[in-house]
Amino acid sequence: MGFPTAPMVTIAFKELALSNAAGRGMPLERICFTPHPLTNKTDEQMYACLDGNDPVSGKPLMKEVVEALTKPLAAEEKKTGTITPTIGPPTYTDTADNLQRYYADNGMTDYMPIILPMQEKVDAMLKGTSHHPDEVVGKMSAAPGAFPDWSFTVKQVAVNAVMAGAQPEFFPVILAIAATGVTSLFSSTSSFARMVVVNGPIRDQIKMNSGIGAMGPFNDANATIGRAWTLLSKNLAASGMPGQTYMGTQGNGFNYNNICFPETEDKLPAGWIPLHVQKGFKADESVVSIFTGWSMNDIAWFCPLPLHEVIKGWLTHFFSTSVGAATLLLDPVVANDIKAHGFDSKEAYSEWLATNSKTPGWLYWQTRQNELKQAQAGVEPYASYLKMGDAEIPVSRFWRRPRPGAPADAKPTSSIEIIVLGGETNTYWSAGDFSYTASASVDKWR
Amino acid sequence: MKINRRKLLSILGISPALLTGSPLLGDQTKKKVSASAVGVKLETLNPKGSPPAIQLIPMAPRLDSLDGKTVYLVSDGFAGADRFLEQIRIWFTKNMPSVNTVYRLKAGGLADDDPKLWAEIKAKGNAMIMAIGH
Repeated sequence: MGFPTAPMVTIAFKELALSNAAGRGMPLERICFTPHPLTNKTDEQMYACLDGNDPVSGKPLMKEVVEALTKPLAAEEKKTGTITPTIGPPTYTDTADNLQRYYADNGMTDYMPIILPMQEKVDAMLKGTSHHPDEVVGKMSAAPGAFPDWSFTVKQVAVNAVMAGAQPEFFPVILAIAATGVTSLFSSTSSFARMVVVNGPIRDQIKMNSGIGAMGPFNDANATIGRAWTLLSKNLAASGMPGQTYMGTQGNGFNYNNICFPETEDKLPAGWIPLHVQKGFKADESVVSIFTGWSMNDIAWFCPLPLHEVIKGWLTHFFSTSVGAATLLLDPVVANDIKAHGFDSKEAYSEWLATNSKTPGWLYWQTRQNELKQAQAGVEPYASYLKMGDAEIPVSRFWRRPRPGAPADAKPTSSIEIIVLGGETNTYWSAGDFSYTASASVDKWR
Repeated sequence: MKINRRKLLSILGISPALLTGSPLLGDQTKKKVSASAVGVKLETLNPKGSPPAIQLIPMAPRLDSLDGKTVYLVSDGFAGADRFLEQIRIWFTKNMPSVNTVYRLKAGGLADDDPKLWAEIKAKGNAMIMAIGH
């Protein structure tokens, strides 16, 4: 940037800050550390931190900040040149038990036993695609912008697919997921989860389960494709290194398998179209679609209200890190019931929900500090909203404004996604704060 | 009170098939598993992708002192960073009153670049203190 800088980082992010500075070419960057966390401290407590010491160096913090900006540079701090990072040897040789231990101890697994990626198994996996082993599939980062992109080849993806226990016929699906460039282990303190939905003929060709227990551990393809995404995210993008490229404070159990399932296309209500067709693909194309969120509820509420109203009630009152997006996984029984109440498409129901779900007062004001100030100053309609207390305020959280640069006549769209899934054993539906992220062709990788 | 077990199970989300007495477990016939060859060494492949080369960036020259200089206090937008930087402003006022401070919020998300702000600091300021994280 061309001017002296003193970055101040809380101690919880020490490893992340140091490794990121090194990875970006400034291994000796003068980072000053504060106690953690600061967000919940009073102004007086924050000031006391400035009068205290840097918890890493033990030196007075503000003296260190001033020195970071004024102490002459050492020769090492002026260095230029290129460093080529090493990823270790191309192969490892040891006993099976020792290799299992080695892969786990070096952060290359999900800490469950793997299929050891011997050459013959990787060769067999590579037969699952027509693409050359050395072809570059794409790039992936532990968090785009924050960490550098790593690149990877078909063969490198195949090694991870073997480790996950996948069959060669699953490989095009795994390549498509990798080609999205989306890590399953996004680095954030908020413990993200991902979900991957498979559509099109590949679902039946590799015998994926979209029926009873589709999201559970009951199917080879569902299980190993989802697991492969986590392993390749770790190994192909250096994602999932706690303290460095992974900061989720509690972690997320979904990260083991990434909620991998195919949509129940054969049980869609008449007139409803599969997810991949909604996203612009042809019905006979095979596609993976990726979603991002944190949490999921599994619900059946036996009450006099029709199901579409029950779901609307849930949407109105549910709260999560992201309060502006939702994805509904409707069992075919539920989807057909909703269709019978006059919703002729997923889009029609999604827009009805976005229009009719409101925001309870307790939640409205938590996310709108500026409006609260205006309400307190008597500005309408906020002043009237404030008088409503905890009652439902007539503002939906689920309309998404057109993106910057969209055509002038672009209209807001509903941020509620709908997928049909399940074995029709009960009127259950799952729903959570997941939002649509990306889709990629599987056929391209056959 | 008489309880309809099928209804109860249905409400609990459990299959009424459990009432039929059908076996819960499949054939548990033991299969012989071949013993693994203890001590045999295997060769396996490295699963890692390819990281980019790292270009070393020399740090910008430091100032002789902060006396009379303008230091930008920049927030990356995380909650509390603005309050923390205000305390730093107060600290300078009390301890190094000749330092002029300017507060700015970096545009975009945590990892987004803000070349407009960097240009402003280069033109109008002398140094930056940036509060990053929580």
